[in-house]
Amino acid sequence: MVKASLFSRVWMNAVLVVLAILFLAPLVYILLNSFKPAGEIFQVPQSILPKEWTLENYLAATSKGFINYFRNSVVITVGGVFLTVLLSSLAGYGFAKLPFRGTNFVLLTIVATLTVPLVIFLVPMFLMENELGLLDTNLGLLLPNVAVSLPFAILIMRASFIAIPQEIEESATMDGAGVLRRWWTVMLPMARNGIVLVVIMTSYAIWGEYTMAKTLSMDPPAMPLSVGLTLLKGEVWQYGVLAAVIVLAMLPPIIVFIVFQKHIVSGVAQGAVKG
Amino acid sequence: MALSSLPVADPTLKRSPEVPRPIRGGRRGKRNLPVGVLFILPAFLFIFVFMLYPLVSSGYMSLTEYNFVYDSTPKFIGLDNYFAAFQDSTFVTALTNTFVFGAFYFVIVMVSSLAIALLLFQKLRFNSFYRSAVFVPIVVPLSLAALVFLWILQPNYGLLNHFLGDVLGLHFLTQPWLSNGTTAMGSIIVLAAWASIGFVTILFLAGLQGISNDTLEAAEMDGARGLRKVFYIVLPSLRETYILTGTWTIIHALKVFVEPMVMTDGGPGTSTLVVYQQVYLTAFTYFDMGYASAMGYILGLIILVLVVLNFFIGKIRADKDA
Repeated sequence: MVKASLFSRVWMNAVLVVLAILFLAPLVYILLNSFKPAGEIFQVPQSILPKEWTLENYLAATSKGFINYFRNSVVITVGGVFLTVLLSSLAGYGFAKLPFRGTNFVLLTIVATLTVPLVIFLVPMFLMENELGLLDTNLGLLLPNVAVSLPFAILIMRASFIAIPQEIEESATMDGAGVLRRWWTVMLPMARNGIVLVVIMTSYAIWGEYTMAKTLSMDPPAMPLSVGLTLLKGEVWQYGVLAAVIVLAMLPPIIVFIVFQKHIVSGVAQGAVKG
Repeated sequence: MALSSLPVADPTLKRSPEVPRPIRGGRRGKRNLPVGVLFILPAFLFIFVFMLYPLVSSGYMSLTEYNFVYDSTPKFIGLDNYFAAFQDSTFVTALTNTFVFGAFYFVIVMVSSLAIALLLFQKLRFNSFYRSAVFVPIVVPLSLAALVFLWILQPNYGLLNHFLGDVLGLHFLTQPWLSNGTTAMGSIIVLAAWASIGFVTILFLAGLQGISNDTLEAAEMDGARGLRKVFYIVLPSLRETYILTGTWTIIHALKVFVEPMVMTDGGPGTSTLVVYQQVYLTAFTYFDMGYASAMGYILGLIILVLVVLNFFIGKIRADKDA
């Protein structure tokens, strides 16, 4: 786009600074509060910056209940992301390079599930997991999270495999490599960008997932962070500690975002442009 | 966040020329089972067990009376649950609230995202900082953001009242935000918009990047500048993007759940109770699985109708212009 005039550039910068403050304020606010001693949090009038910086909230955050929430979130996210990447890169390759009669119908069915609200699945999921004894277990949250993440992941992986030129695969076929070996040694490394995008998107989705976790884990020790911490919303005396735990829970996704921002934005954008 | 539920309309879904003819792979191919099936099967099983089967099962259950605690098996009652829902004042309230939330959310998110995308599209010096600030809420777990907002809105020691009262001196504006139906709904809308605008902005930016430089330069030559250029050249070129962002925003508007669950519990009274929440409560507090399924299906059908409508309105407009 052509450069705007000086006047309108000043004006646009001003608007963007205000917007940036509005978007960042909640995050900065919780970060600063997490360093305030208990007494200061309830002081009226407030000071935005802590008058006395303390780490006591972070030390208290290592208590057993919080560690449990963290462990559950890590297990569900790591396991869920691993399975999602494995299954979506198999299926994406199948859809992109090994079409069979009915491929399009299967793909459309999978894409159509993206418009169905999760709430429709909850009751049968609950009844099924109740039968199988999966309620209140990490596996019971990991498996449906993989299923819900798959449709989008398959679309990303399918697009990355389609982008790989046919000749590369053909030359591997000449060398006598079987289809599974071609997938593993030749195709998968070339679809690296797609895999990174799937890892990042799925991690965010599972780490922050609330609806299924709220339904399928009712016992606090089985809850991930996204649900477990909301149980403390009324317990005022815990606010400083809660702030510290919230900061710790928000940090991993934010760090990943800062490192991979370009990758994420262009990945989402590409998906959109293709649409 | 719900990044994974972005409905990507991928044009390559229609078989594109570069999709190869079926490859028969190794030994399995000789048994005539297409090897592609084996690659797709594991993922499909997951989707079948946790999404397709539940979709059908829930559809059947919506036609039955089935209390998980009292009834041993579902009893078929036809469409009674659906008729009952529209005579149930709580459900009608929840549906109305969902639409009120959805209308405000849709307009606010679409308009601000487009405006922010237009600003970020300019080559300004601190562009990458502005972008990070607007995009970062996308990756923050929504239920935790709701806890932070709860704290900001706290009447006695929350940030908002402190800022309005002590900093700006506007004491008459300070109030218990979540104790009043209107401001409680407003708070939920603000949180939802804060969490969503970044993502929709990325989609609009992608759309803007797709407008060809030739179009823009030709417009300049014809003397279109500044706002005139934006209104007559840029905005009409984004038709395809409106379909995409519109679809995403409609789905997310009607699926609102986390915000009222964490911030208001549907209150005060039922002033922020939404359909998703009412389905959840009916199923997992009252264990009335049949009725809950019917309400879930009603919501699903409404979403489907609006998404299809949005698609066709977008298409017709685009065709008219072409």
